[in-house]
Amino acid sequence: MTDLKKLAAECLAKLKEAGADAAQARPSVSEHREFNIDGGEFSLYRTVFSRSLTLTAFRETRTGSVTLNSFEPADIDRAVSDCMASVESDKPDPARGIAEDQGERELTAGVPEPDAEKFFARTKELKEEIEKRYPTIMMEQMICDHGKTESVYADTNGNLFRMVYGAYGVGLMFSAHRGGKASSFMGAGYQTADLDTPLIEQGDIARALSDVEKQIDTVPVEGSFTGTVVLAPDCLGDLLRCAIGSFASGTPLIDGTSVWRDKLGKEVASPDFTLSLAPHDPAVVLPQQLTSDGYLTEDFDLIKNGVLESFVAGIYVSNKVGCPRSKNTATGWLSMPAGDKTLDELIAGIDDGLFVYRFSGGRPANNGDFSGVAKNSFRIKDGKIADAVSETMISGNLADMLFRFAGASKERVSDGSSTLPFAAFSGVTISGK
Amino acid sequence: MLREFDLTGRDLFAGEPDAEVRRQRNTVRTVALAQGDLLTNERSETAGLSARVIRGGVAGFASVADVSEESVKAVLDEAKKNAAFLDGMVALGKPALPKAQSGRFRMTREPGDPEQKAYVEFAREVDAYIEKNCPKLISRRLRFRADSMEKVLTVSGGTDAHTFLPRCYLYLSFTAESPDGAPVDLTSVVGGYGSFDALFRDPKDVFPEVDLLYGKLLAKAEGVRPEAGIKTCILGGELTGMLAHEAVGHTVEADLVIGGSVAGPMLGKVVASPLVSLTDFAHSAFGKAAPLPVYVDDEGTPAVDAEIIRDGILIGYMNNRDSARRFGMEPKGNARAYAFSDEPLIRMRNTAILPGHSRLSDMIASIEDGYYLIDTNNGQADTTGEFMFGVTMGYEIKNGKLGRALLDTTISGVAFEMLKTVDMVSDTVTWSSSGFCGKKQPMPVGLGGPELRCRLMMGGR
Repeated sequence: MTDLKKLAAECLAKLKEAGADAAQARPSVSEHREFNIDGGEFSLYRTVFSRSLTLTAFRETRTGSVTLNSFEPADIDRAVSDCMASVESDKPDPARGIAEDQGERELTAGVPEPDAEKFFARTKELKEEIEKRYPTIMMEQMICDHGKTESVYADTNGNLFRMVYGAYGVGLMFSAHRGGKASSFMGAGYQTADLDTPLIEQGDIARALSDVEKQIDTVPVEGSFTGTVVLAPDCLGDLLRCAIGSFASGTPLIDGTSVWRDKLGKEVASPDFTLSLAPHDPAVVLPQQLTSDGYLTEDFDLIKNGVLESFVAGIYVSNKVGCPRSKNTATGWLSMPAGDKTLDELIAGIDDGLFVYRFSGGRPANNGDFSGVAKNSFRIKDGKIADAVSETMISGNLADMLFRFAGASKERVSDGSSTLPFAAFSGVTISGK
Repeated sequence: MLREFDLTGRDLFAGEPDAEVRRQRNTVRTVALAQGDLLTNERSETAGLSARVIRGGVAGFASVADVSEESVKAVLDEAKKNAAFLDGMVALGKPALPKAQSGRFRMTREPGDPEQKAYVEFAREVDAYIEKNCPKLISRRLRFRADSMEKVLTVSGGTDAHTFLPRCYLYLSFTAESPDGAPVDLTSVVGGYGSFDALFRDPKDVFPEVDLLYGKLLAKAEGVRPEAGIKTCILGGELTGMLAHEAVGHTVEADLVIGGSVAGPMLGKVVASPLVSLTDFAHSAFGKAAPLPVYVDDEGTPAVDAEIIRDGILIGYMNNRDSARRFGMEPKGNARAYAFSDEPLIRMRNTAILPGHSRLSDMIASIEDGYYLIDTNNGQADTTGEFMFGVTMGYEIKNGKLGRALLDTTISGVAFEMLKTVDMVSDTVTWSSSGFCGKKQPMPVGLGGPELRCRLMMGGR
């Protein structure tokens, strides 16, 4: 068994010896076990034993990085040499840096050691439950896996963190079929540490399976209208991450193309809208513990009561833009508070709109314009879920849409990373044939 | 370069008619500049060994991050153990697969692998040209990505192979402002199969692409939104390739057919206009090397072209050895794995709609009111064939002539319905190969096609 702390220390020493004035080393080892079901039948049992080592060096604010999957001394020596050659190819940029000393820490999360037999039994049970409860569902692929990772982060400022993580994962891809007709394909999944609860009862997969069975017969939307869309949690998360990517983080902030570039502390959404980056939410199975700069993370509100409280900024973006560094960069760990209405009550207040499970669209433009197909979706008519729809597009502008937030459901769904409600937004263009 | 080893005669595969061992090394080199600042300067390399054993119709797979000859037996034993476990639990009882054609294939030319400095200096020279010659940009980004896959495959029955698949691309992304101050962006890609030093000899070679992209972006910044609804359009070759891959290709991957794709009941039926034929090319197409040639797949099957649609009729699927047996077809080399730790899946290689006989100028002249759609940044489809593609560059066609440029829009439709509306096919194929196909694992693929005149749903806004 490799002592990763010792390895990291040796790598830092080699980088310093090669001329680095600051450096980071990130060794890790992982084990992955996976059962695959393809076309409704068990097809594969896969085990993967991996390791990785990422070295990042700085000299006079120039930087370079190398990743390899070998711990052999000769390979590490070559990686150190490559890393320093990359540093030499760079130009100085004082915006760069790494975290100041936060000490040493041992961090664990999830279930590092799998119970392989129990997990196989739960996987088999999930397959059988789906076949029994949802007879029209055809399972294109089901992957149930467990991953364990031991990793170390060390830097020349004195930070030394060892993390041991493990979790089970469930991922489904399926459609419903009857008499030669089929629904669209749907994906659903989650991470969990819980094998005591049947897998069918976790995440939101039971709802998704049941609703896809209702999407075999579809009705096209005639013409175009402006209505309210209710986004399912997965779909909501995807669109919110697009908004964060275009408006609140990275290159769009640095080059000034973000439409939120001067909105810090100002309204960017409805006063009822709050969104947090919460890698330590109680529902999270495997948190983001560290930023790439080496900072230990904390949860924070990105938007609180409609006001932009922070950008998603590491050291580099913070220095380039002149904004405060954010407490994490965990855009995969979103959290929104529950609303005061049930999903049914939320829908009951909508005269005409769409319930959208999945958005199949191009990457929104930098200004937030989006347009795409509403997949696995239902028409909402007179406060009730009506027909499943086909070939229906939704379009709008993400920045504008946040001002048209029309409420969240009491129900929230966690996929092990993000915990989000169903959320309604008005003023979205819905167009059919 | 990975050292080859010969497992013949070691009895490692004894008693295992369906087994393979693959040693693999993947490299990625990335350099990214934004506004002249170096944002990314990274090299990565992963190497390892995997084994797959098929028993009774189920597979056991194992891998380690180690390429030594000493690890082969341990990894193969782990794969056998996994196969035995799953076979014991589910007992499908399927017989062994037919063997692929036996043989040995070896590529001897190792791609070059220059230091980061070469990428950085090249990118900086192009960036300096952009800064000087494109004054109306509010943002400029350049990104080099070079990746390669080297595989040494040894199989119990089939063709052993040692192959390389190197690619290198430079992405140019520009942003300008529309008259109302909204950011408008456009991206172009240059590069292809091969290594940096073979493809990017002189930064000046890229300058014409910079000028072209800048001109297109300025036209787009003054552009209009298209009218929403079903329109007569000319789909550019890049978008035709996207259609061939996303909306047709995935539906005819045999594992997705088994999983319920729309192509299942369509074999032997009309799925497109008689002007439309589609092939997944292995290593050469139209008398030239295919964009990303595949010679032997990761099950040891020699790669040949897979003809999918001929004159509008669906005539085949893409298969691995297992699905080929199920459908009574021949495997043609579509089983591909991305990393050493990945099992082979049914994947496309170089998928294209075949050219026709029309000239693009005649196609434009034939349209009174429609659109010419050229560039795309994104495409999605599901196995019902319903697709949605982002269109980042296009033009109005009014009275047979190109009109104003278009702002970003989307198009959508159902592939096997939309392809029946094709009534003109151009005589020129455009290929692209810079992206990854995503299906459990990423995979470099080529996609291409000619211009198609067809009826499409425009997204507008």
